[in-house]
Amino acid sequence: MVGAAAIALATAGCAGSGGTDNSGDEAKAGEPRTLTVWLMNGSAPQTLTDSLNKEFEKKHDGVTVKYEVQEWNGIQDKLTTALGSQEPPDVIELGNTQAPSFASEKVLTDLSGDVDKLNGDQWLDSLKASGEWDGKQYSTPFYAANREVIYRTDMFEQAGITAPPTSRDEWLDAITKLKAKFGKDKQFQPLYLPGQNWYALLSFIYDEGGDIAKKDGNDFTATVNSDEAKAGLEFYKQLVDASGTTAPKDNDEQNPEQAGIYGQGKVAMMIALPWEVDTAAKDHPDIKEKTSAFPIPSKNAGETAPVFQGGSNLAIPLNSKNADLAKEYLALMLSSKYQAQFAQAGMVPGASTDLSALDANPVSKAMAEASKNGKSVPATPKWATIEAGQNPLKDMLTAYLTGAKSIDAATDDANKALDAAFSGS
Amino acid sequence: MTATAQITVPAGSSPPAPPRAGRPRRAGFGERTVPYLLLAPAVITMLVLLGWPAIQVVGISFRKLDLGELVRGEVVWVGLDNYVSVLSDPEVWTITLRTVLFTVACVVGTVLAGLLIAVLMRHLSSKVRIALQVCLVLAWATPILATTTVFQWIFDQQYGILNKTLVKLGFESFAGFSWFSSGASTLTVIGLLIVWQAVPFVCFTIYAGLLAAPRELYEAASIDGASGWQTFATVSWPAIRSLVTLATFLSVIWDFKVFAQVWAIRQGGPDGESTTLPVVLYLKGIAQRHFGVASAIAVLMIIVLLALTARYLQLLLRSREADVS
Repeated sequence: MVGAAAIALATAGCAGSGGTDNSGDEAKAGEPRTLTVWLMNGSAPQTLTDSLNKEFEKKHDGVTVKYEVQEWNGIQDKLTTALGSQEPPDVIELGNTQAPSFASEKVLTDLSGDVDKLNGDQWLDSLKASGEWDGKQYSTPFYAANREVIYRTDMFEQAGITAPPTSRDEWLDAITKLKAKFGKDKQFQPLYLPGQNWYALLSFIYDEGGDIAKKDGNDFTATVNSDEAKAGLEFYKQLVDASGTTAPKDNDEQNPEQAGIYGQGKVAMMIALPWEVDTAAKDHPDIKEKTSAFPIPSKNAGETAPVFQGGSNLAIPLNSKNADLAKEYLALMLSSKYQAQFAQAGMVPGASTDLSALDANPVSKAMAEASKNGKSVPATPKWATIEAGQNPLKDMLTAYLTGAKSIDAATDDANKALDAAFSGS
Repeated sequence: MTATAQITVPAGSSPPAPPRAGRPRRAGFGERTVPYLLLAPAVITMLVLLGWPAIQVVGISFRKLDLGELVRGEVVWVGLDNYVSVLSDPEVWTITLRTVLFTVACVVGTVLAGLLIAVLMRHLSSKVRIALQVCLVLAWATPILATTTVFQWIFDQQYGILNKTLVKLGFESFAGFSWFSSGASTLTVIGLLIVWQAVPFVCFTIYAGLLAAPRELYEAASIDGASGWQTFATVSWPAIRSLVTLATFLSVIWDFKVFAQVWAIRQGGPDGESTTLPVVLYLKGIAQRHFGVASAIAVLMIIVLLALTARYLQLLLRSREADVS
């Protein structure tokens, strides 16, 4: 009942709030105004935001930017209460999978008319899609990141693998070679792959030409029992079997944290985000110079597999009293000048197709290469349940990999569960 | 529901108050109001922090309140729509039944284990008993999520100490056994975890009751040649009966609404098979932000809980009447 009480308190606290008519509140230019900006922890380096805020304040007389860094943990609740308050932040960052649930509730400012001003022709497709609802644009791309194969250069060399794999066959071949070279060590794993890395699974399904759902207007129908999706799942199992990974089949890449296991030095490859290398290097600093990355290989030799694109969007809350200023702020942030700085910081910028700044580091270079072919999860507010933890794709993976269900039963069950989530109230 | 539900003697009935020396003089107005004034801060705090949110929850359960309504400050009454949508979902009935059975299993496990350890403690030498008590207090004092993490490690498929030990003992089939791949075994692990954390309180409560049983009665029983079981039934049990009832119903209330452990272990998975009502409440209210529907579930949870504890409430009310008359 604690949860219920919390809801009551949260809503009671907001009683009577919102719904204010802000047209009359907008101060005249020149009067002191404060623009509140919420970005997430780890999104933007401080040097970047410092110069951005300075430039913005210089351009707009009398405006102070109140820049606040938020933690991902508990952000959904914090945004819920903040958006309902009289004085919400003026610019917010939303996880790209969260964005549709905010857009569908119409609590964000419609930005459809400002797309051109906001560098719209440079936007990353997958993030643009996650900001759309009902044919309108409610949030803009911010930055993206995707998974790649992180590997040990020294182990590859010793196993006689001269170049990083560029096809599934070469990838499996590399696993065989690594096993032959290091297999005597019982703890060695050519590839660390836990049973529930559904981001990797999405990549394999996309590569087969499949997807997890089909879009029809605002509605989605699950398609994980299609032949393409089954082929993707088969390949996942093939990787698990070929590598003989001892990672748990009933858990994901965060439990236990795969970077920590990679850091212990008995793993030659993992499917991970670029910054997981830094996590691994925290306890084992020497591993960084022995690490590089390549994009997840496709079944078609020479191509890279499409990837699940995670990332963030930017939006202006509906109750913002400074929506005009907030749009200006977004325009500056999405300008090529600052987008280039994001790329230098190791992210795939959401509003720039120029990724050359990422080439300096081989680990970010691999991500940039794959990012051109990225997709996001279905842009539906119903994804919230799945995001919260009850993910049918994870259950499907565990059921099939442990042999608890056949591939047909596992995919049919997941399809049913996804459809229920998509249509559920 | 449990064996203890058959008790007919009121729980916590107090001995008759000692006769006072003479009839007190009629208290003045000030004297009569002082007790109420002293109670007022606690009562007001409870009304504000518990009563008001409870009323709000009932009110919200008749409204459509999603993020949009919250932000725009709209009040949309939808009558019984939320209840209809919850009750017409067959999944909710399965989950309610699962939650009730899970609660009963946890409570029976907790009370039986607590009772056994309490009785055992009476027979232990003081050094062993103190060691046991320290262990119990430590198990009790460890933060819920810390214990949950330890349990997850114990039951880990590859690196868990349980599977490794079972293999060493000759049960080869447990090598790489996944404890979290079916709802039943996931709930068993969660149940063990909850019992583990709940036993110390129940055990100490019952042990306190045992200490209150007069030593002479035990001596008399042994002189009469009573067996261990007879001694327990005739001497110990009357001393602890009301405390066991109390512990049972408190456990029902706590175990019915337990969320943190269930969520932390597998988020109600796999395939939603370890989902209990508090998990549904979280998913609807916090994850999907359908506060109206979530409130309807909260109200239904209160009703189920009232039904489960009806017997205890009846005993409470009856003992009140006994005090008054």
